[in-house]
Amino acid sequence: MNEKNTNPNVDKEKLQFVQRDEKIFDKKFETKPVGYFKDAMIRFVKNKTNVVATVILFTLITLSILIPTFTNKNFTELEPRMAFLPPRVPIVENFGVLDGNVYIENQQVLPETIDPETGLGVPNQTRYPSEYIVMDTLVNYEIGCSEITENCMGGLVNFANRETDSASTFKAPGSFFPELDSNPTITINVSEVQLAEGSSFSVLVNDGTGNYVSIGEVEEAGEVTFSVLDAIENPDDLFFYPTELRLLFENSDQSDYVRLENVLFTFDGAEEPLVDASGYDLARFETLDGTGRLTRFEATITMSSFEFDAYGAALGDYRIANFSKSEYEKIVEANSGSCNVIENPDNPDGWYLDEGCPVREVIRTSEAVVVDGVEYVSYEVIMNYGLYAGYDTVPYYLAGTTNTGRDLFNLAWVALRTSLLIGVSAALVNITIGIIYGAISGYYGGKVDILMERFSEIIARIPFLVVLAIAVAYIGPGITTLFIVLIVSGWIGVASVTRTQFYRYKGREYVLASRTLGAKDNRLIFRHILPNGIGTIITASILSIPLVIFTESTLSYLGFGIGHGQSFSIGPITFSGVSIGVLLADGRAEIVSRPYLTIWPAVIISILMITFNLFGNALRDAFNPSLRGSE
Amino acid sequence: MLRYTMIRTVWVFIILVTILSINFILLKNAPEYPPTIEEQREIYYARQVSDGYMTIELERDPEMVEIIRQELREPAASDEYTLVRNAWYRDEGDQFRIYKPVPLINQYFNWVRNIVTEWNWGVSTRVQANVPVFDILLSRIPVTFQLNIVALLFYIPIGFALGILAALRKNSFLDNFISVAVMILISLPSFVTMTFLVLVFGYGLGWLPVQFPPADVTGSIRYTAFVLPVLGLSFGALASLTRTSRAELSEVLTSEFLLLARTKGLSQTQAVLRHAMRNSMVPLVPGIIASFVGLLSGSVIIEVIYSIPGTGRIFIRAMTQNNYDFNLILGITAFYTVISLFAILLVDLSYGLVDPRIRMGARK
Repeated sequence: MNEKNTNPNVDKEKLQFVQRDEKIFDKKFETKPVGYFKDAMIRFVKNKTNVVATVILFTLITLSILIPTFTNKNFTELEPRMAFLPPRVPIVENFGVLDGNVYIENQQVLPETIDPETGLGVPNQTRYPSEYIVMDTLVNYEIGCSEITENCMGGLVNFANRETDSASTFKAPGSFFPELDSNPTITINVSEVQLAEGSSFSVLVNDGTGNYVSIGEVEEAGEVTFSVLDAIENPDDLFFYPTELRLLFENSDQSDYVRLENVLFTFDGAEEPLVDASGYDLARFETLDGTGRLTRFEATITMSSFEFDAYGAALGDYRIANFSKSEYEKIVEANSGSCNVIENPDNPDGWYLDEGCPVREVIRTSEAVVVDGVEYVSYEVIMNYGLYAGYDTVPYYLAGTTNTGRDLFNLAWVALRTSLLIGVSAALVNITIGIIYGAISGYYGGKVDILMERFSEIIARIPFLVVLAIAVAYIGPGITTLFIVLIVSGWIGVASVTRTQFYRYKGREYVLASRTLGAKDNRLIFRHILPNGIGTIITASILSIPLVIFTESTLSYLGFGIGHGQSFSIGPITFSGVSIGVLLADGRAEIVSRPYLTIWPAVIISILMITFNLFGNALRDAFNPSLRGSE
Repeated sequence: MLRYTMIRTVWVFIILVTILSINFILLKNAPEYPPTIEEQREIYYARQVSDGYMTIELERDPEMVEIIRQELREPAASDEYTLVRNAWYRDEGDQFRIYKPVPLINQYFNWVRNIVTEWNWGVSTRVQANVPVFDILLSRIPVTFQLNIVALLFYIPIGFALGILAALRKNSFLDNFISVAVMILISLPSFVTMTFLVLVFGYGLGWLPVQFPPADVTGSIRYTAFVLPVLGLSFGALASLTRTSRAELSEVLTSEFLLLARTKGLSQTQAVLRHAMRNSMVPLVPGIIASFVGLLSGSVIIEVIYSIPGTGRIFIRAMTQNNYDFNLILGITAFYTVISLFAILLVDLSYGLVDPRIRMGARK
């Protein structure tokens, strides 16, 4: 540094004296002065990440205003049939994702729907009409079941008693007339036996006089056959022989059981056996007396899984049991020309209507009810929801629909608008209070300052749960409570920043100069000191907005903020009671089956918070003059 | 230092008493929700009388009995409204037994006396009728504390390590990556991160339980159940600790005494560990203590999402609409207030302890 610059290579021609002859001290600067805000702007633009974040943030804000305004959707109307539709996105849907299909599994297959060719069956038609099942994806599989229903098939049946030392009789449904001269037999296929000393499992039939006697006992696993004739002393005397098939179980230990596979009651030359019970039929044996209990083992039920076209099903035909006649006539009138009646040869009570009419078919008419001299008639109809609700094409719900059938994509923007509005207005109140409080405290200093500082310290130390509890106790959950919680301690941050700024600037010469000229406190505070410290205060204020939105969504998520059914007005605009927190709280109930209800609002609030914080940080750097030229 | 400590301690007690008093008076002035079942209600009111919050009066005048009966049926029926708020009118045929609240200020002093002499915080009305509030709290506090302390032990070392790493490799790819991650984690609301953690690791991958197991469940699930709530709770704190420790350390790293340390022959590691780290600790230690308060109030929402039987969840239960349990709310908020105020006291004192140059409160 101390070396003299003796570089000999400088071309002497290039040397020029700048101000040899003229005086420059009263000349105007050729460059423009860089003001405080311009300087801030230069630093703000320098950081590209922050600029991008700011652009995204303002895009979000603009969209949250534009989208709800231009979609013209009424967000208070409910459409239960359109509820819980999955996301459907154009272009992407062609790749098999986000195509509006939902994956449904564990639906019981109705045995009668099983197609002999493919061997695949479909579940109940009322919930999942087969025309909207994507047949390529239909899979049937079997899972274990234990309930006594027809669809639960096969397996073994456990015969047991609930109590020790009890005897119970099980009976096959119905009574039978075996031909005694063709050797009637009862065959039992035993799979497992556990019988303690003194327990027995015997087969009973009518001995011809109405008494039921044992014809044999089951002792071990395997197939055993008993002859009915063993029960009867003189088979030849019997002219008419009715009998029931009974099983008697006597136990001496509670854990005893007999597990049967099959019970067969037949005779020689029978076209079909009198009883051939296994699985479900076996489990339907009645318990005549005692504490007998039947349980099923290793039985299976056929289930299906498939992709289901939720949009098609929602917009398709559905049945309404009570559709008023006046409503029907209104629809026919509105669609005059396309709602001509077509006779239904199969059903004289009802009729079809033209293709293109929202009412597809009238099945029957109810009896008229007369109230106050007016006759009310209702129809059972099949409606086409797409035509009825005016959906010309299948809609694209980019983020699916909520439990009330609203488009979540649009609703999230409405919610964002509400969240932003609450955030910004609460922040504005906080900033106003904070600036005034901090200005007074900082400007006057001394005792005033100490008292005000102590007061704000107490307020700041109140946990927000305390404020929440008190507000809820008096007002109940709602928008007012929300504002109270947001405001009670929200202003303190801004107040302390303002106070610091006032301490910094109030002793400066320009303030002193202004005071000597006779300026009042009011003027000094708002015209001199505040504008000088405003940069830092703005930053603190902006950074408090995401914090407020954060608290708002947390409270709404917990159910103490706004909620469905609430609305509030600011000026001429009415806002719905839906905020991002409310949407996320709704999504929580469906988190496993319908995660898309959570994902979209979560994405929006995450982007909002990230960009807001980046924007705030960028402002902080921009308004910090000590960073001038440092980068 | 002693004087400073005393002033701060006394001040914290003043704030504590102020907050608890305001809380008591405002909550007791609100419409009360006594137990719903008749027998429990009788026990409750008898206890209110013995604790000095209410008195019993008998109304035998047949005319008045009729008026009261009328008003109980239709509150707005008579011209003169005689019913006292929060009082219980027990119909005993020809007379009314009236449990009347004593004036609020007397209730307040009785409340203070009950707490100071008997540690009696009243009984719960709706959540667990007639169970002492402090017993309910005692059964809930351990879970909440476990959760928060595990979270604290989890995020402090990691936050420091990441912050140091980022500061030492300033402006490298690693530093930028950490900064972006910090930015995202700081901004995400904890209920969003918690929801996604449960969705991915609980339901999606099935590695961890999807909610906190009941107290009688044993085995490894008792420990794995802590993973998700601890993560959900500490992400925000982790990010902010990383950010502040990076900022502090990178400031210290450029200071002149570190250059001196290097010139006198210390290696880079020695200089960083012995000089830079210690000096950057000064603002960090109080910050960590303060973050415990944030963790504790943040754990309310985590407890609700993950069904953890802690103080936060019982608070939300006590706040069920039209089923408020004010005594319990009073107890829980007192707990949170005490914890946060003492954490703040520790913060104030730790400034003086960590850095002897800061002689706060010393005479000028």
